[in-house]
Amino acid sequence: MADIGTPPKVRVLVVDDSSLVRLYYMSALEKAGFVVEQAINGIEAMEKVLSEPFDLVIVDVNMPRMDGFTFLRSLRCSAADVAMLPALMISTESGMQDVAEARAAGANFYLVKPVADTELVRHVCILTGVAL
Amino acid sequence: MPLVRGSKSPAGGDPAPHRAALDSPDAESRWTAARALSGDADAVPLLAATLGREPVPRVREAIMTALMRVGNAASVEAILPYLRSQDAGLRAAAIEALQALPEAVAPFMAALLSDSDSDVRLLATELARNMKASEATRLLCDVIAHEQHPNVCAAAIDVLTEVGTPQALPALEKCAARFAGTPFLPFAISVAIARISSAEG
Amino acid sequence: MDLKGRASHGLHISPEDVQRFCEFLYRRTGMSFTEAKRYFIDRRLEDRMTATGSSSFQAYFSLLRADADHEIEHLINSFTVNETYFYREDHQLRCMTSSLLDVITSQKKPGGTVRIWSVPCSTGEEPYSIALWLMENWPQVDSYNIEIIGSDIDTRALKAAAEGIYGDRALMRLSPDLIDRYFRLVAHGGHQIDEGLRNSIEFTRANLIDSNDMAPYRDFDLIFCRNVLIYFDDASRRQAAENLYGCLRPGGYICLGHSESMSRISPLFRVARFPDAIVYQRPEADDG
Repeated sequence: MADIGTPPKVRVLVVDDSSLVRLYYMSALEKAGFVVEQAINGIEAMEKVLSEPFDLVIVDVNMPRMDGFTFLRSLRCSAADVAMLPALMISTESGMQDVAEARAAGANFYLVKPVADTELVRHVCILTGVAL
Repeated sequence: MPLVRGSKSPAGGDPAPHRAALDSPDAESRWTAARALSGDADAVPLLAATLGREPVPRVREAIMTALMRVGNAASVEAILPYLRSQDAGLRAAAIEALQALPEAVAPFMAALLSDSDSDVRLLATELARNMKASEATRLLCDVIAHEQHPNVCAAAIDVLTEVGTPQALPALEKCAARFAGTPFLPFAISVAIARISSAEG
Repeated sequence: MDLKGRASHGLHISPEDVQRFCEFLYRRTGMSFTEAKRYFIDRRLEDRMTATGSSSFQAYFSLLRADADHEIEHLINSFTVNETYFYREDHQLRCMTSSLLDVITSQKKPGGTVRIWSVPCSTGEEPYSIALWLMENWPQVDSYNIEIIGSDIDTRALKAAAEGIYGDRALMRLSPDLIDRYFRLVAHGGHQIDEGLRNSIEFTRANLIDSNDMAPYRDFDLIFCRNVLIYFDDASRRQAAENLYGCLRPGGYICLGHSESMSRISPLFRVARFPDAIVYQRPEADDG
């Protein structure tokens, strides 16, 4: 039987200004086999997304210097190789209007904080096509 | 157009043309005017008023910087309302400007941390980060003792992880009990406790 | 006390302390370190604790948070390579000739002026490197007027820059051929850069944080502002970024140092990716 080799690891970028949130998400995702990078705000996220390939970006809303909405809008207007990057927005807001606003900015999926690590991993698997 | 050096009052040069230019239809003129008025305490009310209707982000930034350079209670009061903005970008800009003014912001902290709007409370916790460790600990322990909203607690705990003194340990333990079995918070509190405890040894 | 006289045995830095420190450093500067670099951090942290007479990590961390005696600057200095030399971070110079100048000159007529600013320029290695690189690598170097200005707050550095005499270390990245063609040996040792180049660069004194100082500098196509903003406090970084924005023409580019990122400085600039480097751009137009 031909050896098809190990599939490349799925790469996720976690964008949140809270070091504890990043630590929480990154630990859970790494345990689940993802390669994870971090960014503290939308500007750093843009730099990372433009420098290395990612399969998914998880983005918070309230961040200094560039918030999550501004980042998403910027992302969707960027070079073709990154503009379609799937984005999971995680916000403190749970209203229908906030979800609508997130989608309008370019979020593919939306979760409300606080997100449990198991819930996060489940969503990331679904969004990146990794078997649960 | 000469730019005026930021100071408590304009150093030579008449501020009047700059004040008028804050209303210019041209963004570049408004930007230059805001920068020229940077640090001008007398211009605070005008800058505050203009901030509310300024659509161009870089002009908003310049107005925030101008207010920040004044750095007194009036300028803090001018910026505070933007913590309530529906626009995430404006909220981010407001927090950034306020973070640079821990002394001027200090008298407002208690009120901000007990604001009826949980978003304001959440953003305000970040302002404790640049304060003295003992004061920040006191304020944030108050928050986690009474706060019902998990995200506000999470934000407070994030700051405590960096600046918290051992005084915070009992409050953190109690908070852990309150939020046992909920997502994320038990983890956050355990990290905060571990970091702060190591400082004791 | 150990043989070197340092109280290193008394310095206990726990893994949690290191985590706290690393998070502070990452949030403040964007610098992050893998587990493999852990020793690197331990050593420098110990050095700084000793240098500041801190008896515990907690004491040092309080000092650091308060930025007492510019400790943040000392700390960052201990993590970065500070020497200046010709062709430092040359991927940005390559980006200039491979990508940026094409965009810049697309807006200019032949014979038009390209304005480039090196600030701070220190003792001149950077502006001279820009000039050298252009002459050696840009096919269209004769088609445009190139204005290169080098500015610094330190007048002694500017004087040295104008003299243009460098030791071997400053020239270590240059080929012998390049040195031969553009430098000559001078009496006290050292190599002096070609007079034509010395005369072609305007050296001026300027303070990045002072809007008045910065006001006369306008319409730059490209600014190199490398390895200085990382040392400024938040408010000064913000002010400097705003000043630099005003010095660029719309669409102009700015390059920061390799450990620096606009994510820690200002939202005014657009992140611009090119094959050789990520640089920042003043937007062509205001939206909204």
